[in-house]
Amino acid sequence: MSRSRYLLRKISWSLFTVLFVIVFNFFLFRVLPGDPARAGVRDPRMSAEAVEAIRVKFGLDKPVINCFQSLNPIKFGDCAVNPLETQFFIYVGNLFKGELGLSFHYNRPVTQVLVERLWNTILLIGLGQILAIVIGMFLGIVAAWRARTVIDYTALLGSLLAWSLPTFWLGIILLFFGSSNFGLPIGGKETAGAGFTGWEHWQDIGRHLLLPTLTYTIVYMGEYMLIMRSALLDVLSEDYILTAKAKGLRTFQIIKDHALKNAMLPMVTIIAINLGFTVAGAIQIESVFSWPGLGGAIYEAVVRRDFPVLQGAFLLIAFSVILANLLADLTYSYLDPRVQDV
Amino acid sequence: MSSLEFQANETLAHPIILAHPPPLMTSSPPTRTFFQTFRRNRIGLVGLVMLILSIIVAVFAPLVAPYDPKASVEITIDDLYAQPSAAHLLGTDDAGKDVLSNFIFGSRVSLIVGFFASFISIFIGGVTGIIAGFYGGRVENVLMRITDLMLVIPDLPLIIVFIALTKPSLWNIIFVIGIFGWTTTARLVRSQTLAVKSRKFVLRARALGAGNPHIIRHHIIPLVMPLIVVNTVLVISLAILNESTLSFLGLGDPTALSWGQMLNYAFSRGAMSAGAWWALVAPGFGIVWVVLALTLLGQGLEQVLNPRLETHHLNHAPQGNLSTSHQGEWTEFTGGRVLLEVENLSVNYLTPGQPPARAVENVSFRLREGEMLGLVGESGCGKSTLMLALLRLLPAAGRIVSGQILFDGRDLATISEDELARDIRWKGIAMIFQGAMNALNPVRTVGDQIAEAIKQHLDITDPAALEARVAELLELVGISSFRAGHYPHQYSGGMRQRAMIAMALACNPQVIIADEPTTALDVMIQAQILELLANLRQKLGLSIIFVTHDLGVVAEMCDTVLVMYGGVTAEYATVDTIYNEPKHPYTQELLKAFPDLTKPGARLAAIPGYPPRLNDLPPGCRFAPRCPAAFDRCHVEAPALHALNGDGHIASCHLVE
Repeated sequence: MSRSRYLLRKISWSLFTVLFVIVFNFFLFRVLPGDPARAGVRDPRMSAEAVEAIRVKFGLDKPVINCFQSLNPIKFGDCAVNPLETQFFIYVGNLFKGELGLSFHYNRPVTQVLVERLWNTILLIGLGQILAIVIGMFLGIVAAWRARTVIDYTALLGSLLAWSLPTFWLGIILLFFGSSNFGLPIGGKETAGAGFTGWEHWQDIGRHLLLPTLTYTIVYMGEYMLIMRSALLDVLSEDYILTAKAKGLRTFQIIKDHALKNAMLPMVTIIAINLGFTVAGAIQIESVFSWPGLGGAIYEAVVRRDFPVLQGAFLLIAFSVILANLLADLTYSYLDPRVQDV
Repeated sequence: MSSLEFQANETLAHPIILAHPPPLMTSSPPTRTFFQTFRRNRIGLVGLVMLILSIIVAVFAPLVAPYDPKASVEITIDDLYAQPSAAHLLGTDDAGKDVLSNFIFGSRVSLIVGFFASFISIFIGGVTGIIAGFYGGRVENVLMRITDLMLVIPDLPLIIVFIALTKPSLWNIIFVIGIFGWTTTARLVRSQTLAVKSRKFVLRARALGAGNPHIIRHHIIPLVMPLIVVNTVLVISLAILNESTLSFLGLGDPTALSWGQMLNYAFSRGAMSAGAWWALVAPGFGIVWVVLALTLLGQGLEQVLNPRLETHHLNHAPQGNLSTSHQGEWTEFTGGRVLLEVENLSVNYLTPGQPPARAVENVSFRLREGEMLGLVGESGCGKSTLMLALLRLLPAAGRIVSGQILFDGRDLATISEDELARDIRWKGIAMIFQGAMNALNPVRTVGDQIAEAIKQHLDITDPAALEARVAELLELVGISSFRAGHYPHQYSGGMRQRAMIAMALACNPQVIIADEPTTALDVMIQAQILELLANLRQKLGLSIIFVTHDLGVVAEMCDTVLVMYGGVTAEYATVDTIYNEPKHPYTQELLKAFPDLTKPGARLAAIPGYPPRLNDLPPGCRFAPRCPAAFDRCHVEAPALHALNGDGHIASCHLVE
């Protein structure tokens, strides 16, 4: 199968997955118990008219899909209703326009709320991932090179330990000792009301970014180290490494010119996929450090039962995962000349 | 390999499983040897001990804990977040309760949730995987597509949403974590089932009329079980992590004080500002302890059930002191300058806890200009070890224990690695390996790899000159030069071997070691490669050491023959002598075993028995157990290498004295 057909297959599967996610996402929040309208404002004194008004405002008075008034509990409706007037199609239609609905809590478009938060998360994750990748890979290479020596065992145990740490707990401990012993900020992205500008502003953000990034890096560094080590060990026991040694190449040369490229294949795949999920994974770190990112938004939305925000965030994360998977597949197909058939 | 095979969910996949693709279990390891091997695995043992400790503490919580967390206490302000003291070893929490007791009872909740949730995941995943792998076809397609879709939905947010919108009760949490944790297990189990399904014994069982349920129960499940066990351990650790995260986020069961819940209360109720580190450290420590225990146990199990050598070609064996001993003078076979002289070379393989395997012992030979030496012997007789030793390419367990390798005025056995790599490898002596499929790097072009050899030893850096030289080399072996830009997988088997030959010639070496270059190829291609080698030898005046177990090839192409058995020289002579006047019984038997085309109806002779175990050699002659001419002395005293006729013919047999 030629490369273009391979790519076409991958892209069409991604599109199908996107469709699945849209449908799944929509029905998820309709199936689960709890009346969305009431959840938005949980005041028992609300009159019936007020509840109905909220319903209309958020489009919850329309049937979910053609024959169902609502899914929970299932109430049948008028099957002759124009399908495009149902909640589902309105939802899909809005999606194409880039509208994700209106937040119950903020009363602002969900898109606006999420995009603000998204950049903060990208800042946190971007930095953390890069550090984790660089350090993890380096340690993994050293450990594989010096397999079965003290260096290897130390690195291995260190990584297993890092893997075993709950992300939020590591954050708590670092925060506790960081703030009491080093005077680092307790949370947030910037010092409220300080009014820093320019370089000082970035310095301030940097101080707030230090501990969350450190937490993130430690947690992911362990995983990357283990994978790099394993991949490199596999590669270094292949026949072509022996050929390279017989050709008179030095150890460093062999690792650089022969081994790394092969070992990067599984690494690249996992890095790309992690990037997709780390938006979700940031939830823990952002809640510990009160970092105003996407993860925190999800957490708050859960607590407040702010369904539109939840739905929108869900969709955003799922899309980024699908995109990351696609990128991983594409990168892999370019790195590995053997990929021609799925 | 698709990237989907590496789906790494932050919370639900594990780098240890991901990094090791599922092994093909050749047989269910007998339980006894499994326990023996596991006992020696330190990582696994530590993990197991840690786990057992936590289980004991959880089970005997009422006996171990100093206070009952459910009992009400009279407290004053001072009792809140009190520092660790004699009365409260880990201090108190925000409600004045003893942290240590909460910690001990908390282990129950965390462990219960972890175990039960993971059982649900493993059950669903295992069943799905086995059904998908076993029944294949549409069923497998549908199930795997569903798995792929589920892997795309971010798990932690999904679990959070489910718990938040339903009831955060303990059973709910167990159920939800379990329901969303089956995907990785399903993938692993399916791969393993696929691998097992096509094994011969399954086909045999089918032929005997066994039905599907029987096959699944008696063949598939036992071989998939070990993998499931390893996976279970890791899924449990992930489930515990998930539960603690949920509880920390406030979605835990308020009536069940798990470790995550303790952290949630501490964090949100001012432990940080009160400086109450004990309330924050203790529960986390518990989580880390149990998860680490499971991770270590999983790593240990993985190492036992899927042992990998974890050594590789770049491990450097330390240089030992070599004892050199001369065993007398020989006379020459023919004229010609001696290029390579190996004297009394001995190589051992070391395994911890076992006597060393004496893979090569006291082997000597000489290679002259233009000479082709055939190195013959059974599998495991030490041929390849000997060849690897010449360029010091032995695996990490190999050691040259004595002898000399004289080449170009140097002793290759003792010169520095640097000197060896710079002057001798490829430049003086080059090697062609068996089965060139993996001997060439699959992600680099063939031309690139040949050019690398040239750049390494000859001072040619001009890209045009390199390209020209690479083209020249490829044409020399009969490959069109435009294929220099192709990758190894785009070459056929025979072409790859020819490319290896071209690469070996790149630096104009004097000696070429061909280690069974045609064994992996079919007969027609074999003939081509041999013809090529013969031509090149004539054209370039090469000296070749040809390792093979094909006596026909040796007869046709070689000048001298070295017959090895069990790591020692059996016989060493010119090719005429070997074929017409073999003196060692092993050589004689080998020749007898070679089928004669002129006698098509004759019975095939074979040498009964097996080669000796190199770490458990019989006293006396190594061939004695299988030798038709052996007598008493043979079983007691190892024969020396006897020179015959003064023309270089050597045989190690008592009968020859």
